[in-house]
Amino acid sequence: MTAVGQPGIPAATTPLAETPLVEMVGIEKHFGGVIAVDHVSIDLRAGEVVGVLGHNGAGKSCLMRILSGAMEPSEGRIRVGGNDVTIASPSDARALGIETIYQTLALADHLDAPANLFMGRELKTRFGNLDDKRMLREARQVIQRLNPNFKNLSDPVSKLSGGQRQVIAIARAIYFNVKILIMDEPTAALGPSETAMVAELIKRLSAEGIGIFLVSHDMHDVFDLCDRVVVMNKGRNVGAYPIDHVSKDDVLSLIVKGSLPDEWLPRSSA
Amino acid sequence: MAEVLSGTTGHRRRALSAGALHKLSALLTLAALIVVFSFGNDAFFSVNNGLTVLLQTAVIGLLGIGMTVVIITGGIDLSVGSVLALAGVVAGLLVKAGIPVVPAMMLGVASGTLCGLVNGFVITRMRITPFVATLGMMMIARGIALQVTGAAPISRLGEAFGVLGNGALFRILEMGDNGFPRVIFPGIPYPAILLLVMALAGAYLLRQRQVGRHIYAVGSNEEAARLAGVNVARTKIEAYAMSGTLAGLSGVVLMSRLVTAQPNEGVMYELDAIAAAVIGGASLMGGVGNISGTMIGAFIIGVLRNGLNMAGVSSFIQQILIGVVVIAAVYIDQVRNRR
Repeated sequence: MTAVGQPGIPAATTPLAETPLVEMVGIEKHFGGVIAVDHVSIDLRAGEVVGVLGHNGAGKSCLMRILSGAMEPSEGRIRVGGNDVTIASPSDARALGIETIYQTLALADHLDAPANLFMGRELKTRFGNLDDKRMLREARQVIQRLNPNFKNLSDPVSKLSGGQRQVIAIARAIYFNVKILIMDEPTAALGPSETAMVAELIKRLSAEGIGIFLVSHDMHDVFDLCDRVVVMNKGRNVGAYPIDHVSKDDVLSLIVKGSLPDEWLPRSSA
Repeated sequence: MAEVLSGTTGHRRRALSAGALHKLSALLTLAALIVVFSFGNDAFFSVNNGLTVLLQTAVIGLLGIGMTVVIITGGIDLSVGSVLALAGVVAGLLVKAGIPVVPAMMLGVASGTLCGLVNGFVITRMRITPFVATLGMMMIARGIALQVTGAAPISRLGEAFGVLGNGALFRILEMGDNGFPRVIFPGIPYPAILLLVMALAGAYLLRQRQVGRHIYAVGSNEEAARLAGVNVARTKIEAYAMSGTLAGLSGVVLMSRLVTAQPNEGVMYELDAIAAAVIGGASLMGGVGNISGTMIGAFIIGVLRNGLNMAGVSSFIQQILIGVVVIAAVYIDQVRNRR
């Protein structure tokens, strides 16, 4: 089956890893006269964790919502795996392997964990009925891989702890062949041990080749987990740097002033 | 860290019983009512009166099924009483125009579906709140029913028109000596059978089908449902169409029982339907409710009305009591959830 290496059969001209998983090019979003996202370009490669930083209202959530299909851009192109795509709805995004973990988690409180995990993508039997047994089985598998002690899968999720709810939101994102994962403040509502679990998961997913956009305020998380940071200020992309080229002060300066400190020199790129 | 993420396993039993507990207490209330009324009046606990209750409850029950579906989405349908009247009038007029009873009734039901679809479109496309949208439809449908009939009842619709509302399955008759038929077993009224079938269909739709799951999801957290790829607008339109269809069906059943198309019928029925759903545990905040609860709620109202009637209690006092029951049911539920 390894056709690529055989003589006589031409190998793919571009190695797959060279093509970014996703490129957003010249994205703009206007609300009336207000420009929320001002001609921003950003990309993400397989296995890469890119931190998206900025003040509240800097446009980072808006940019991510455009990628996840929750919002349509006014201008700009999105390419996934090198192909131009149109993302008009969350379903479009999911069909392209783009999954999002929202800060609010976006769970239906009255439904149980499997119903939330499969919301909008319910498994059905041959007769078109809901296959609740299979959904429970599958949900148990993926959820208990994240947290072996998560037993109360049939409770409405309103009864669950913050950490358990986070696990459901994560499970929902990784169950369906995710290629590009958007995490919006995934640790903001969590305690230290739960934060460690999420950090561990991010490392594991990126090692599996999944590209991750990490929207975060937490400098520690960003420097611990990200390969690259993109800083937004007043709707513009004011800097994209490999994480080992910048210091926390540099990043803070970009967030606050929209520019690097006056006497900035790149740190060793070694 | 795993300990922090895991919940207490004791949660499960308690959470599962929350909905069941409400249903049980409603069922006990119903049983208590039947016992009390039976002691009060010998005629209450009889086959004939039981059938009367079934017949009386069928209309509220049918409306209640549709209302429950809409309430679970977080909405409300105030138009069902008027849509009931419109559907009955449409069926009556069509029969008068020479169309056979069955297709005429089907078109009557379809007029209810149409009203529901309009409700759904006004709510989702024009972004009018369900309260206002269906309040508008309440006036529009009533107005049409009154206008096309000149506010006069349509009578002399023929025997066939009355079969659905007055007929019964397994009715056993015997020719008496005096030449009149004598009823040996009154049979199961068609409206009661229709109610059972629709209740089962509604419960199946809500529990087993994707549309039902989406109805709960939309009512529980509309934004989450949208972000999860649920077609929120379509789900809502389907819910209001179901409510309209059931309102149309109950209109046809009611007018058939009267063998008269009455444009004034069904005033305030929407409130009984809402009461039935709420007594049965549905939450007007959305996301909560089920058909079996609503059926119990409808029968509580039906038995209360019937029993109080037989006890000679005035209809005004009945209204007061039903109002108290509605508030008490919701209050008890709230207290339980707060615990």
